[in-house]
Amino acid sequence: MFFWQDPQFGDRMITLMAALVLVLQIMMVSQRRVVTNIRAFAVQSCLLACIASTIAYFNRAPHLYIAAALMLGLKGIVLPEILRRLVARIGIRQEIEPFVNVPVSVIISGLLTLLAYVVSEPLQSSPVTGVAGLGRNTLPVAIGLFLIGFFMMINRRKALTQVLALLSLENGLFLAAISLTYGMPMVVELGIFFDVLVAVMILAILVYRIRETFDSMDISRLSRLKG
Amino acid sequence: MLLTHQLYAAGLLVFALGAITGAACHFWARTASRISTFLCGAALVGALLEAGASIGGLLHSSDVAWAIPSGIPYIAYSVRLDPLSSFFLLALSLLAGAVAVYSVGYLKHGPAGKNPALSGSLLHAMLAGLTLVFTASDVVFFLIAWEIMVVTSYFLVVTNHEAAETRRGGLLYILMSRAGTGMLFVGLLLLARAAGSTDFRAMHGIGDKLPAATGGLAFLLLFLGFGVKAGIIPLHIWLPAAHPVAPSNISALMSGIVIKTGIYGLARVSFDFYGALPAWAGMLVLSIGVISALLGVLYALMEHDLKRLLAYHSIENIGIILMGFGGALLFRSFGHPVLAAIALTAGLFHTLNHGLFKCLLFLGAGSVLHATHTQNMEEMGGLIRRMPATALYFLIGAIAISGLPPLNGFVSEWLTYQAMLAGFGATTELTRAAFPIAGALLALTAALAAACFVKAFGITFLALPRSSQAEAAQEVDLSMRAGMASLALACVLLGLGATWFLPVFDPITQQAFGTGVSASLVSGNGFLLMAGAPVRGTVSTLLLACMLVALSVVPLFLWRMWGRREKRVTGPAWDCGQPGLTADNEYTATAFSKPLRMIFAALFRPRREIQAEFEVSPYYPTSIHFESEIQPAFERHFYDPLLQGILRMARSMKMVQAGSLHAYLAYIFITLILLLVFAVRG
Amino acid sequence: MIGQIALVMVQAALVLLFSPLIAGFGKTLKARLQTRRGPALLQPYRDLYKLLRKGMVIPETASWIFPATPYVLFAATLLAGLLIPTISAQAPLSWIGGVLAVVYLLALGRFFLALGGLDAGSPFGGLGSSREMTISAIAEPALMLAVFTVALGAGSTNLSTMAQAAVGQSWRFLAPSQMLAFAALFIVLIAETGRIPVDNPATHLELTMTHEAMILEYSGPYLALIEWSAWMKQMILMTLLMNVFFPYGLSAGGSAGAMLFSVILFVAKLAILALAVVLVETLNAKLRLFRVPELLAVAFVLSALALISTFLFGGRG
Repeated sequence: MFFWQDPQFGDRMITLMAALVLVLQIMMVSQRRVVTNIRAFAVQSCLLACIASTIAYFNRAPHLYIAAALMLGLKGIVLPEILRRLVARIGIRQEIEPFVNVPVSVIISGLLTLLAYVVSEPLQSSPVTGVAGLGRNTLPVAIGLFLIGFFMMINRRKALTQVLALLSLENGLFLAAISLTYGMPMVVELGIFFDVLVAVMILAILVYRIRETFDSMDISRLSRLKG
Repeated sequence: MLLTHQLYAAGLLVFALGAITGAACHFWARTASRISTFLCGAALVGALLEAGASIGGLLHSSDVAWAIPSGIPYIAYSVRLDPLSSFFLLALSLLAGAVAVYSVGYLKHGPAGKNPALSGSLLHAMLAGLTLVFTASDVVFFLIAWEIMVVTSYFLVVTNHEAAETRRGGLLYILMSRAGTGMLFVGLLLLARAAGSTDFRAMHGIGDKLPAATGGLAFLLLFLGFGVKAGIIPLHIWLPAAHPVAPSNISALMSGIVIKTGIYGLARVSFDFYGALPAWAGMLVLSIGVISALLGVLYALMEHDLKRLLAYHSIENIGIILMGFGGALLFRSFGHPVLAAIALTAGLFHTLNHGLFKCLLFLGAGSVLHATHTQNMEEMGGLIRRMPATALYFLIGAIAISGLPPLNGFVSEWLTYQAMLAGFGATTELTRAAFPIAGALLALTAALAAACFVKAFGITFLALPRSSQAEAAQEVDLSMRAGMASLALACVLLGLGATWFLPVFDPITQQAFGTGVSASLVSGNGFLLMAGAPVRGTVSTLLLACMLVALSVVPLFLWRMWGRREKRVTGPAWDCGQPGLTADNEYTATAFSKPLRMIFAALFRPRREIQAEFEVSPYYPTSIHFESEIQPAFERHFYDPLLQGILRMARSMKMVQAGSLHAYLAYIFITLILLLVFAVRG
Repeated sequence: MIGQIALVMVQAALVLLFSPLIAGFGKTLKARLQTRRGPALLQPYRDLYKLLRKGMVIPETASWIFPATPYVLFAATLLAGLLIPTISAQAPLSWIGGVLAVVYLLALGRFFLALGGLDAGSPFGGLGSSREMTISAIAEPALMLAVFTVALGAGSTNLSTMAQAAVGQSWRFLAPSQMLAFAALFIVLIAETGRIPVDNPATHLELTMTHEAMILEYSGPYLALIEWSAWMKQMILMTLLMNVFFPYGLSAGGSAGAMLFSVILFVAKLAILALAVVLVETLNAKLRLFRVPELLAVAFVLSALALISTFLFGGRG
């Protein structure tokens, strides 16, 4: 048996990639530049695709390859490209202005990861070993991605950066899905992907409109809209 | 054993007689000035006697109490020298001895000198109160001793009562202490009721027999009550107000040992009255410890009043002690007696160490204050040339409190780190992560403390004097130097000889957890300190110190080999091209801590105001006014609303205050009837 | 006994003689990357020799702290160098102090260096001391937490035990906890040794200096001692980082060939790390002082994640 056929090795690689995904998420929290954020998101999505295909390879679950390919294509390439063009088109400033300053946000992200571990522990109390258990241990990371993504959405002012946060939150859901059930039924998964795509399209248009109308992307200005 | 009790009684008698003699002489004006030296000598004798008694108590651990019947039910004047009491008594007597020596000169020339006899008398009374607090073996007697200590220390704090700041600090101190005593009263009575006796011996392990809710409540009350005394955050606000305004010899005792009565009480309750506590109690103590340590040092950094800075460091060190205690509680609840013993030893050792170096630093600050008549660091500078001995002792204290090797602060912090590290493997779930993170925050605290003492020592003693008082400063007299020197020596000895001192903790941990501690901390013929087992890490301060001395010869050797012995020239320091370097060019204490003020701006919320007056252009101001302050967060967000609430309640209570004597009589009558009914029916 | 002493002497010589070479290598490499010729590889040795032979100017405002500082700093740093495993997992003096002693000995040196900066009374010294103490303080929790993560894995704070625990498990560095701790310590290394983007070792502009400002008043042999200590500190931290995470070559036996192999591997590891540091220095601009906490907060969270991942992945981290 070559080392790449050893489930032990697959386990190692998945753990490592999951850790990198988490680090990228925290990097997105700490980075002020929008373009770097988009790039980090793209890399994160590619890593998730890798995790999915690793699980697919060791479990011989071909439908996961499709999910991985979709992940890679849509969230790794297409969406980042759309967002990049949007950034270029509306010529926004480079800097993200969070409500909570960077060191504190980073530390909050760390705490959220800890929380993710605490809430996911009961689900992992009966560890499944061998090939079937592959990727199970990434559940805390998935929940962590979700929580940090949510925190990012709250913490950011500009609509565009909120879209990014939403997308990374959705990455968390994807990881949770593949780590718990080796992917949801294909239809649901496809639905989610197209949902996300459409959502981003709409949001992109909205961002553009908000900017046109208010001459700013700061969504706190939307509070003017209330009666 | 007999000798122990006789020494103890003799020491107490000396303190009592000292208090009475001083008070008598105060009213006999002619002797008042001469008596102070005698009183200080008596205090030294008393301290030495008590030291003897405490060593006896540690050597022959016994559970024998020694009582005078009071004739009043529920009160027995009983004292007991069990290992825990003896240890704190030892700390007390060491500090009291050094302070007594220091006070000879201090009372003669110092600001406390206007009433030397009275000061001496109160000092004796406070020492007697402290001795009784540490040794009382009965709830009511303990509370009486506690109040003696609080009241005498209050009077000592307000020695300079002419200053409004002093009165305010004193008032805050006594008010907070009252609140604390109230909580202690309730907590101790809850435990005593369960035991059916007020004797401490009967209360051993009694907390476990209470129902969980009552037991938890009693622990919480006692933690808060003792916490007020110890100065934990958020109950600390009296400490930086009261300690700096007291005469420096009293500040030294207050920070060195008086706040440790809170630690003693907590140790007594947690490890004697309770045989097991749920994990939340340990978590609470640990997190309060971390918070107190970190916030204490951060506030200390912002101070440029030397004594306030030291007062905030007391809060920090109490936090470090509580980290050890919290670890011990958690280990006990997870069933690891040896680890609990190590953690408790870390906390108790730091208690003694902090007493020594904090006392030393306050005495040093007192000497500086005595020589320059200011507590403001911005007006000091250059004192190392004018007061070389004081500077050296202060430097030793600064190195010790920063936890740097090879002094005693390093040893107890090392033990605390090891306890935190052991916590990861010995506990489960979230607690696991809490331990190393607490350790990391301890590292932050220690590094910030080092930064703070670079500031405290550098601004106070180095460079050029910033004011004419600092320029005219003179070295203090022999007795004051001797007091500081003895403490500095103790810091060095406890650092280098820590392994030979650790067996002192054996009887204490034996009593608390049924296991000795020195066997798991000392190895290598007593030269090595280890963390439970040799494989988990060893350190030897003595060998580190020897190596440091040996290696500092290397540069001399290199120099001899290659150097050409070119002459050294003294010249002016670089002055940026300005004509001559003056004190105005120097970095100030405020400037030194500015980066940290900016980084932790969310906590400090600094406010600054600059007003420049100019004639021609804003770049050439004729005068600049600069003001900078930080927001006292706890006062503003916790105590102010609390105070407002109390005042509102008091106003609504005014309804009851009718002003008519008949109404008051009616109140008393109604209360009487209610009590009668309650007594009969209830 | 004699053997022990001989080993101590050998390690002392190694730390003393090899540390300037790493500094020189870094400088040369950086110059090459920036298409400059740069100083010769052996320039630091020449600097030391020259400085040791020079006379010196002592500021007239300085006290005994000023001349005492170089000795304390030098002795503390060299002693820290004797506690770490270099070419063999067994460091000669690792039993008199583990990783905590190393960190605190470096802190002792820094404490005196900061006092030395304040002693002359010039504003530069104060500025440097203030910044140095600030940066080192906020780097401390990340450093300690990362160290703790490794120490917990090895079950010891003794550096030789830590390195030995790492020997045997050659692919261990792929575990997330190890990689994250390594990343955190790398950031701390940059901050502690005063490299870009935290401090610029080549600058003499008062707005950007930290370390250089602190030692501005030192000259001649004292300056030599301080520079030498800085290089030794850099070597100590780099060695620590490489030997704890990549313990290759540490297990080699006592034969001459094996020793040679260990030495070559050791040099290669340090060269690779130096290359990484130089790359970071070349590709980044210096951060504003108040952006440094952001970087160190990231380091802290990385080390916290390293700690969490030791149990986050169900024991596989």
